[in-house]
Amino acid sequence: MREILKITIALTVSCLLAGLMIGVTFIFTARAKQHNELLNTRKTMLGLLGYGSHRPAPEDLTLHQVHRYIVREGDTLRVGYLVPVRGNPRKGCAFVVLDLEGGFLEQHRLKLAPEEALDAEDRKKALLSALKGSTKVEFADTMIIACLGGERTAYLLPGEFPGFKTFIKAVVALDADFRVLGLEVIEHEEDPGLGGEITQDYFKNQFIGKSFEKLKNLQVIKEPLPEEYRRVLESMGSGSDLPARESAEIHKTYQDKDIHALTGATISSAAVTNGVKAITRKFAYRLRILDEALAAGNVPVLF
Amino acid sequence: MPATTKTNLQLVVNGLLNENPIFRLALSMCPAVGISTTVANGLLLGVAVLFVQVFSSCTISLIKNHIHPRIRIPTYTLTIATWVTVIDLLLAAYLPAAYQAMGIFVRLIVAFAIITMRLEVFACRNTLTASFWDGIGMGFGFMFGMVVLGAVREVLGMGTFLGYDVLGFRPMLFFVLPAAGFFLVGFMMAVFNYAETVYHRRARRAAAVQAGVVK
Repeated sequence: MREILKITIALTVSCLLAGLMIGVTFIFTARAKQHNELLNTRKTMLGLLGYGSHRPAPEDLTLHQVHRYIVREGDTLRVGYLVPVRGNPRKGCAFVVLDLEGGFLEQHRLKLAPEEALDAEDRKKALLSALKGSTKVEFADTMIIACLGGERTAYLLPGEFPGFKTFIKAVVALDADFRVLGLEVIEHEEDPGLGGEITQDYFKNQFIGKSFEKLKNLQVIKEPLPEEYRRVLESMGSGSDLPARESAEIHKTYQDKDIHALTGATISSAAVTNGVKAITRKFAYRLRILDEALAAGNVPVLF
Repeated sequence: MPATTKTNLQLVVNGLLNENPIFRLALSMCPAVGISTTVANGLLLGVAVLFVQVFSSCTISLIKNHIHPRIRIPTYTLTIATWVTVIDLLLAAYLPAAYQAMGIFVRLIVAFAIITMRLEVFACRNTLTASFWDGIGMGFGFMFGMVVLGAVREVLGMGTFLGYDVLGFRPMLFFVLPAAGFFLVGFMMAVFNYAETVYHRRARRAAAVQAGVVK
């Protein structure tokens, strides 16, 4: 009996010490890690829009973050959007509350600068202090509206959808006409070599150029990827070793076709395709509702 | 096994040659076969294993008198897991470029046999300094093995070295597959064994000459 007790105590103490060490390290590294992830995300976003080390982003390109929240007041559910607005003397943030059909209800000016709005904790604090005491807010998702000199040029939509294993986190980039500019898979747990190939250029670049209309009924076909199409897709990522006009022509012939599934990963391919369709469809619907509500409420948004 | 009598330098050389983890002790063959597809992968994983091995060996050597004998293995696992997590967090925060390259590998190290084995066989009965140098030797031995395997498989399988095209064509794509990894490990073991036989033969001859038996 004494033996069991000694062992139990020894194990508990070891676990506590280990946890303490990990916790201390985490406290010191959390901020720096977050900062690095932010830089990485920004680089990925700019990359999706077509900018990179070979083509630096223009000075007047601004990425406006719009955060969607579910607002709960007792039993009633509402939708809220945290948007960046004009202000004197500086830019600020406002929280626009809509009912579930999209009707404009109210707007609250927040004590938050757009840069601070990147952090989820700061956002929540500002929201709770601006709204009535009993209201609860729940973060839903974010959409990023890229503006070039005041005009909307592109949209970046982070989203999450079920894959073959667990969830797949991806970012879809659309241009102003909702045509796909790019797709980047951020996180997934698919099998390496099979479903994991969704991160490869020859799969995800197939979505580039698909129009909004085509996306509505985009399917996955179980046919092998033609060799010329594969070369064009792989050169789209980083510099081209094919003459630009020839690759553009080849790409055009495949633009309105369906997505070629990955060998041995039909379910993962279908999951990504359906995920991209869902993200785009929901976004188009929500953007329309948001624009109507913003106009109705005369909210001085920056986009 | 009683505490070691080797000098620190002998411990390092031991880890590299006599008791090379992959080619002599035949431990941690999973990563040796699966991840040594390129020189870069092998190098990155080798560095990560080096750090985890050294830190774990030192930690266990410091607390060796307080470990209850019946929970040795859980204690080793806990130590290794803690160090792997700490290194993972530090890399993610302060060396993001390196983290991008080897982040996925670092988390796998918890399951490696070589580290647990070394803690059990060496660190729990030796001094801090000896454990430190043994960890260095084992870590470098593992890295050496991974780089050699990676080099052969990358050059012969993909025609590149560290990502740079050296051959311009792919001699035998077979080398990139795990089966080739096993063949190569076996081949390297044969090389090591032959080298050891030759070394011992020469040592015996030298000793015999010294004793005046043979001229």
